[in-house]
Parts: sequence; structure tokens; C-alpha cells
Amino acid sequence: MTAPATSKNDADFYKLRYLIIDDFENFRASMRQMLHGFGASTVEAASNGSAAIQQCTYGHFDVVLCDFNLGEGKNGQHILEELRHRKLLKRSSLFLMVTAETSKEMVMGAREYQPDAYLTKPINRAMLEKRLGGLIAQRSVLLPINREIDLENLPEAISLCIQAIPKFPRYRSWLMKTLADLYYQMGDYSHARKLYDEVLEQRDLSWAQLGRSKVLLAEQSYDQAELALKSLIQNHPDFMEAYDALAETLAHKGQLSKAQRVLEKAVELSPNALLRQKSLAHMATSNQDIEAAAEAWRRTVGLGAHSIHDDADHYLALGRALSELSDENLEETGQAKAEEALKILAKMEKRFSERSDLRVKSLLIQSRVHAGQKRGDEATKCLDMVTQDLDHGTMDASMGLELAKTLFRLDRHKDAEQLLGKLAQRFESNPEIIQQIENLLDEPVGFKQKLKARSLTRSGIKAFEDGELDKAAETFEAALEIVPSHAALNLNLVQVRIKQLSEGSQNPDFIRQCQRCLSALEHIPEQHRQYRRYTALRSKLETLV
Amino acid sequence: MTESHKNSRRQPDPENNIDFSMVIASAVHDMKNSLGMLLHSLDELRQEQASTLSGSSRFNTLQYETERVHSDLVQLLGIYRLGERTLSAHIEEHFVPDFLSEHLARHQPLLDGYNIKYDIESDDISGYFDDDLLTGVLNNTLNNAIRYTKGKILLTAHQRDGYLVFGVEDDGSGYPEHMQISGSVGFKSLDFKTGSTSLGLFFASSVAKLHRNGARQGFIKLHNRGTLGGGVFEIWIP
Repeated sequence: MTAPATSKNDADFYKLRYLIIDDFENFRASMRQMLHGFGASTVEAASNGSAAIQQCTYGHFDVVLCDFNLGEGKNGQHILEELRHRKLLKRSSLFLMVTAETSKEMVMGAREYQPDAYLTKPINRAMLEKRLGGLIAQRSVLLPINREIDLENLPEAISLCIQAIPKFPRYRSWLMKTLADLYYQMGDYSHARKLYDEVLEQRDLSWAQLGRSKVLLAEQSYDQAELALKSLIQNHPDFMEAYDALAETLAHKGQLSKAQRVLEKAVELSPNALLRQKSLAHMATSNQDIEAAAEAWRRTVGLGAHSIHDDADHYLALGRALSELSDENLEETGQAKAEEALKILAKMEKRFSERSDLRVKSLLIQSRVHAGQKRGDEATKCLDMVTQDLDHGTMDASMGLELAKTLFRLDRHKDAEQLLGKLAQRFESNPEIIQQIENLLDEPVGFKQKLKARSLTRSGIKAFEDGELDKAAETFEAALEIVPSHAALNLNLVQVRIKQLSEGSQNPDFIRQCQRCLSALEHIPEQHRQYRRYTALRSKLETLV
Repeated sequence: MTESHKNSRRQPDPENNIDFSMVIASAVHDMKNSLGMLLHSLDELRQEQASTLSGSSRFNTLQYETERVHSDLVQLLGIYRLGERTLSAHIEEHFVPDFLSEHLARHQPLLDGYNIKYDIESDDISGYFDDDLLTGVLNNTLNNAIRYTKGKILLTAHQRDGYLVFGVEDDGSGYPEHMQISGSVGFKSLDFKTGSTSLGLFFASSVAKLHRNGARQGFIKLHNRGTLGGGVFEIWIP
């Protein structure tokens, strides 16, 4: 072996700066004593997360020993995330999580940041010296690599890793893992995959399976990624990151409800990761599963209390979901959700008082909540409070969409459509915003109606495919009663009627209906997803008339 | 995915159908953490009061029994998770001599207190295993060895027939005939009536089995053919 087993050298302990984070005075004192005993000279301590973060903001530490369970306030994982996220603690510094748990993955539920090592309680002097000595020796060997990573000089970090692999067999695992990840971050997927394959050839290791699956995902080999991740989860049902990757893969394949179920399983096993709850909330929202979305947003907001990932948008999203759920529901359950929405928005305004845009968005959602509870006066009042502050020519897209939604809800369809038209012009080069605008124009209704219209649309398409044209037309007509401006749906109906006409039907009502449908779409711009279909069907109709 | 998801949400009848194993598990969890605190205090006390406590057999018993219950509880939680099928081996590459010396360090104060000599005999190799699970098994085995040894314990790790073999040897009177096994211990073979349930062996065997490499699976071996003349516990990791 080229590297020393553990450094018995006091000098190694001496020159480093330590921070102990624990809520028990007793424990801090004994840790401090042990560290001094090993030769450490600079040892500081904090009793809670905020104090620890404060200390890391103004001071530099090489080794942080942090208890996971700190009682009220931030826990160890929150501290780790905040320190790494805000770059208050360099990659070249060690963060050691002290825990009484033997099953770490599930409790921490970490998604982004993991500690350099876990120390399992109870900890005695001999054990700490051995363990810490080993980690410090490792740190000094790997320091040049981590320094380059801190400087975001990834190519240099890569070449240092390659040089180190034959020299330090003891740290081979760390080096291989880091190297493969660096390749992945650089977008050099073929090298990353080669490395994972090399590791897997020797041994079926879960981190390498995950890494390889992520490469497959990045290379858009979704079927292969799905297969690999499913077998990984089967063998390691507590490997949370595999669930995240599988959900992402399924979402790419367009299987959104399956993706949602995977995330649901993951949060059931490990409920404490904010970002995972947030993914679930987004996924459920895309699936129009507003009940599940609200629950996931609720937990996201709750977990945000002490987290660096806390965001006012989570509160807004929860407010929106609750507003949808309480819409037109005047029973106790609906009232309670409306109440909760107003409460959560008030809480947000207080918590993020430095953000002026939030007050406006909050009022717009409040207006919809009141409207949904048949409190028209209050709904109008909330809307009126913001309209003079809003300039249609300069507001950002998210504000515009929020306002349009509220205008629709208050039955001011013309105003809403006008506003969206203006927004579409201003953001014509941004396909994501354009799509959101189109979606809102298509379906400016609550999620229950949306679901109903969508399910009608699906059965209409099925009937069309089965050749039952009358039934298809009827079903599309029913859907259009709910969402009359829906572009694709209007065209579906036109398509059915044209088929009937071309098969010999002489019904003049069919032509009139087609003309009505097409004129409803006259305003759609060229960049609309349905524009080409619209022009094609229009000219086809002209040949039949 | 759908079905297993639905089934995993157990809905106990609120009146009397209590999910007792879950109640037990969370109570065990609390007890384990309390004992962890207790062990920490005992360690400190031993250090602070070294002159009066270093040879105290009562203090050794206090620490030993606490240690034993603590590791029993850790093991119990492991068995609970085994039953829930949420226990899996997180296999990583570890440098074996480091792992063993870090492991032994935990027991050092007690071994010194009992005046038991200890040693590590390990090849300079890296191995693939779940260090948390192996720690659980070795803790139990070491506690057992401390109980039966006359004064010497040896921790070993060698490469043998393509397996990584961890061994715990003592110089006691060895395992009785009926306990000398090679292979695995099933849950059904546990005898809850006699009091000596061999739960530890069941756990060790389960942990061994969670370690797989291709078609090969880990197992345990108990015999009396060690260099110290007493019992030898071996866990074979493929």
C-alpha cells in the first residue's frame, strides 16, 4: 500500500479547523475534548443549525462533525444542504454526519448532497481517532482533486483522478465514482459509461448501476434505462435515487401516471426529501391529479420550513391546487380547502415579505378562491386591488398567466383572451410559455371539467378509430361544450365530419358545423401546434363544399 | 408496481388490529438510542474516573451488558426490516484492515477493562460488503466472544476460495457440538421455547445471505478449529 493506514500523526489533526454541531452541551464538550486530545487546536462548536451556518459564513472549517437530530429547527441534512448549496463549505472540506441510525438512506432521504461519511453513535475516543484519522488521511490524498472541483476546473480534476487510480488503490472506489461522475457532468457520456461498465464487470454495485442508468437516460435510451432501474429497485428497495431516476425516465417516455406512482412509492418510503416531494407535486399536476398534487405541495411547504430549498412558489402552487379543489365545492370539505388556501397565501406573504410580486399573485389566487366559493364581491375586490398595478405590456409571463386564469374564472373571457394574445406576441420565441398560453386558451376551466373533457376526447378518438363516426362526433361535441375554444378538439370534430362527407354524406349541417369550428380557430397564429392541421383541414373542406 | 404499492399500505383496524411489529420496532428504536447515550456516558465516565474504574468488574459488567443489549436491539431492528423486506445490502468496496481496526476501536475500552488481549490478522485487501450490516454482525459476535473468552480474542480477514472470510476467534471452551454449523440458519429453525433462540445466528446468516456475487451467496460457519483453541465464528462473503 502506498498511503499510510491511518495517520497517527498529531500534525494532521493539528493544522485543521473543526466545527462540532450538536444540541447537547455534554456531547459538544466531550467531542471537543476528544479532538483536543488528538492534537487539534482549533475546535469550535454550535448548538443549532442557524448558529452553525453563521459560523461557516464567517469562518473556514476543514472538518464539520454534525449531529443529524438537533431537535427543533434545522436537522443535520438541512445544514449539509445549505452549506454545500451556498458554497459555504468547500468540497475539499469534510462533512461528517453523526447519527444513531443504521439505515441512513431512508431517514435522510437525501437527493443531492451526501455527507462524506456517517459516524454511528455511540462514539468513543478510540473509534473517533481511527475513523477521523482515516478520513483526514484520505482527504489529504484527494485534496488536489477536490480543489479543482471547487474551482470548477473539471478537465483538470479528471486527469488528476486518472493519475491517482493506479497510485492509491485504497481509494479506488471513491476515485472511480468521482471520475465517472465528472465525465457525466462534462457530458462525456461514452467515457462515463465505459467506466461504469468496467466497475460492473467486476462487481454488481448499486452506485455504478445507477450511474450507468443515468447515462442511458441522458443518451435517451429510455427503454434500457427503465429496465436497469427497475431491476436496481427490485434488488435495493431502499435506494431512493433509483426511484427518482426511474420516474424521470418514465416521464420522458410520456408515461406520466406510472412516473407519479414511482415517486409516490419513494416518498412513502422516505418522506423527508423536499425536492422529491416537489417532483411528485409537479408530476401529479401534469396528470391533473390535483388531490395528490395538493398533498405533495403541502408536504413540500412543510419541509421547506428549515430548508435551503424553501421557495414562495411552493406556497403559490399549494394555493392554486387548493383553489382548484375547493372550486364550486360549497360543502364543508370545500370550505376547509378554500380556508387553507387563504391561510397558506397569508403565511407566504409574511414569510417572504421582501418579494413585492408575491402580494399580487397571492391576490389573484385569492380572487379565484373566493369566486369558487360564490363570494363574487370579494373575488372582484381582490382582482380590482391588483389591476391598476399591472401593465400588460411589461408583466412577466407567469404573472400574465396567473391574471388570465383569474379573468377566466371571473367570466371575463374577452379580457383573458386579449391578455393572452398580447403575451403570445411578446413571448413568441419562447416555446414553453407559448405552450402554457395555448393550454390555458384550450382549457380555461377547472381540473374536473378538464378531466371530463379529456376523457370524452379519448373516447371520441377511440370511436373514430373504430369507424363509429356518429358516436365520435357526438362525443367531441359534448367535450366542446366544456372547452369550446380547444383547438385540437375543434379540428377533431371537423375531421370526423369531413370523413363522413367524403364517404358520401349529404348532410348540410355537417358543413355548417365544420365552418363554425374552423372560424372559432381563425385567430390562431402560425406558430400554434395545430396550425398546419388547421390549414390542411380548411382546404380539404373547401374541396368538398 | 401498482399492486405492490396498494398492498404495502396496510390499513389496520383502528379498534383492535394494532400493527404490533411496527409498535415494537419504534419502541426498540427509542430504546436503542437511549442506550447509545448511556454507552457514551459510560465511556466518558471510564475515562474521567480511570484510576478508580479501570479494574472495576462491576463497571465492566455494566458496560458489557449495556453494549450487549444495544447491539441486540440494533439486530432486532435489522430483523424487523428483513421481515418488511426493506433490508438490503449496500455493497461498497472497503479496505478490510481499516474496517476491522475501526470496528475493534469501539470495543477497546471494554476489552482493556476486562484485560482481554486482542489482535487483528488481516490481508491487505479491499473487499465488497455492506459495512453497516457487517458491523452489526461483528458487534454481536465480539460481545459473544468477550463473554466466553479466557483472555484472548482474534479478529481475522482473509481471502479464501474466492470468498472474503471474516473470523472472530476466542480461547474459550468453544461451541458445543450442536451449534457447529456451516451454511445458513433459517427462521423456522429458531426455537423460541428454550430461551436460547440463536437469534444472533439467524441475523448473521441473513446478513451473509444478503451478500451475493453472481450465483454465489454468503454464509456463516461455526467451529472450534481456530488458532486460539476456542470457538471460531466465520462469515463468508462472496
